[in-house]
Amino acid sequence: MSQYKIIFTGPVGAGKTTAIQSISDIAPIKTDAAASDMTKSRKAGTTVAMDYGVMNLAGGEKLHLYGTPGQERFDFMWDILTSGGIGLILLLDNTRTDPFQDMKFFLEAFSDFIEKTQVAIGVTQMDLSSRPVINDYHKKLKEMDMNIPVFTVDARVKNDVSLLIQALLYSLDPGLEA
Amino acid sequence: MLKKSTKETLKVVLSGMDERTRKTLTLYLHGPCKAAGVTIVDFLEADLEIIDADLREGRLLLSKRFSETLHRPLIVLSLQEISREGVFYIKKPVQVESMLAALDKIRTQLRQLQQNRSIASAKPGLLKEKESSTNSRTSPITNHQVSEPTKKQLEVDASERNKSAKHQTAMQLSDKGFSVLSAGLEPLDINNIEQLKRAAYNPKEYFQGFVQSAIKVAKDRDQVLQLHTGWKLMLILPRSNEIWLDADDKQLRAFSGLAINKNSSKKMSISWPDPKLILNGALDKFQNMEAIVWKLACWTSKGRYPRHIDIERPVYLKQWPNLTRLVVTPHALRIAALLIDKPVAPIKIAGLLHIKPEYVFVFISAASALGLLKQSDRNADCDILPPELKPNRNKSLLSRIIDKLRVNKLNGLDSNEPI
Repeated sequence: MSQYKIIFTGPVGAGKTTAIQSISDIAPIKTDAAASDMTKSRKAGTTVAMDYGVMNLAGGEKLHLYGTPGQERFDFMWDILTSGGIGLILLLDNTRTDPFQDMKFFLEAFSDFIEKTQVAIGVTQMDLSSRPVINDYHKKLKEMDMNIPVFTVDARVKNDVSLLIQALLYSLDPGLEA
Repeated sequence: MLKKSTKETLKVVLSGMDERTRKTLTLYLHGPCKAAGVTIVDFLEADLEIIDADLREGRLLLSKRFSETLHRPLIVLSLQEISREGVFYIKKPVQVESMLAALDKIRTQLRQLQQNRSIASAKPGLLKEKESSTNSRTSPITNHQVSEPTKKQLEVDASERNKSAKHQTAMQLSDKGFSVLSAGLEPLDINNIEQLKRAAYNPKEYFQGFVQSAIKVAKDRDQVLQLHTGWKLMLILPRSNEIWLDADDKQLRAFSGLAINKNSSKKMSISWPDPKLILNGALDKFQNMEAIVWKLACWTSKGRYPRHIDIERPVYLKQWPNLTRLVVTPHALRIAALLIDKPVAPIKIAGLLHIKPEYVFVFISAASALGLLKQSDRNADCDILPPELKPNRNKSLLSRIIDKLRVNKLNGLDSNEPI
């Protein structure tokens, strides 16, 4: 049976682990550890290998949900994780000093994968920092010649994460019928 | 050593500055300036504004201020001298004496203004005169009250506002819910082109048009405005991109579906908010501006399309709507994905996606109201469109994931009622 997966990526603290937890049918397998580096200033624990969740589909197939570790020193894992993936969810933390730089970094880092599939962006923590607004992200994306879904997301809310994934899937094929 | 000021503290809004400059200046006003001014966030509440003209954002904002009437005293900080009537220039590096002197002058000016207002309010004729000279240039709505409130009570603590309904996740409108919304309208037949062409409405004849017009005026002037409708109180706050409306969604839906006749439209006007207005404790009534305009368009449309759109010419989306914070109409994500990908004539979308034309029209009404939908000049885009979309090779899998996600939806978010 084929293995299908969606990859969740983004900087430390953007909500990847929480987003997977929101939609997974199993208790997600987390590989968090106490942060000992600069990450400590953003959250006490951080993902050091990857997060893993599963959605059980009709017909017995499974959709695997993988969260990449946010820290760049683990970027050697990203290629392995994306292999066979059907799309990328990029979560960005709006309270970070320069979320646009984060966006550019991750879009470039995953550019080969995105070219073959699609990407959708969820901006988290907008209730804590309302600026930049979603339009600002679109402006930056236009400069990169990209027109992709960018949604406000509360990673704890299943509906937000679900809509983001649906946008990713419909970007792959608007003709899909539920 | 400077004496501690015993004068009234002025409320200062710092504009066009980065976070660091803002913090520095806040500390400067609090410390060296002995709290002669205190920084606040809400523009509406401020006694004066300070702009740093040496920063890019500040320069842009300053030219905007210079192109309009100043509604509050303005201090400009810059290395270069800026001379303009009504503007207090302080040369950098900012000296405490210069800042205090400017604040003193502003305090006197405000006191004088307040006295003048007391006189004006005792003579209604003065306001009438002002009214005719400042009528809106951009809107069919008329201004009937131009005096700025002297004591505004509209400010709500920012952290409290974060708790309000405007951050709620999207409400999704199911097929059944949509049927309730469009009840009373003739169902559209996808093969009856003439019928489809007739299914148009003019947003300007509904509350939607008046709200959009008022928002435009508020944004152009960068001012908080009150929309008088003879219905519920509505305030437009352009800086925070919010609308305060004293009505729930059911009331708004009912009102937005009614065409406004000419007699009623004459009663529609905008003005400065009533100074005695107290909004504290009504945080749930703050809504995101885009979210409310989108809703209004959906409820006004009821499955019809706005008359200014030619449904036989291709349309496209400039960008994805922020669908986690908007009412998700049936098949909205599919329509959005299609119109991001390529321009398609609205009349053909329903056929391509195998959905009801009403779903297409309600979506394009809402997207158009937010300025996200554009009509393509390239008629050729329509001609070359294949009759069927090319399916993704993983179509079956992707459909099953969508099925799963839709089943997963939280109770209450998929509404059978049109909210």
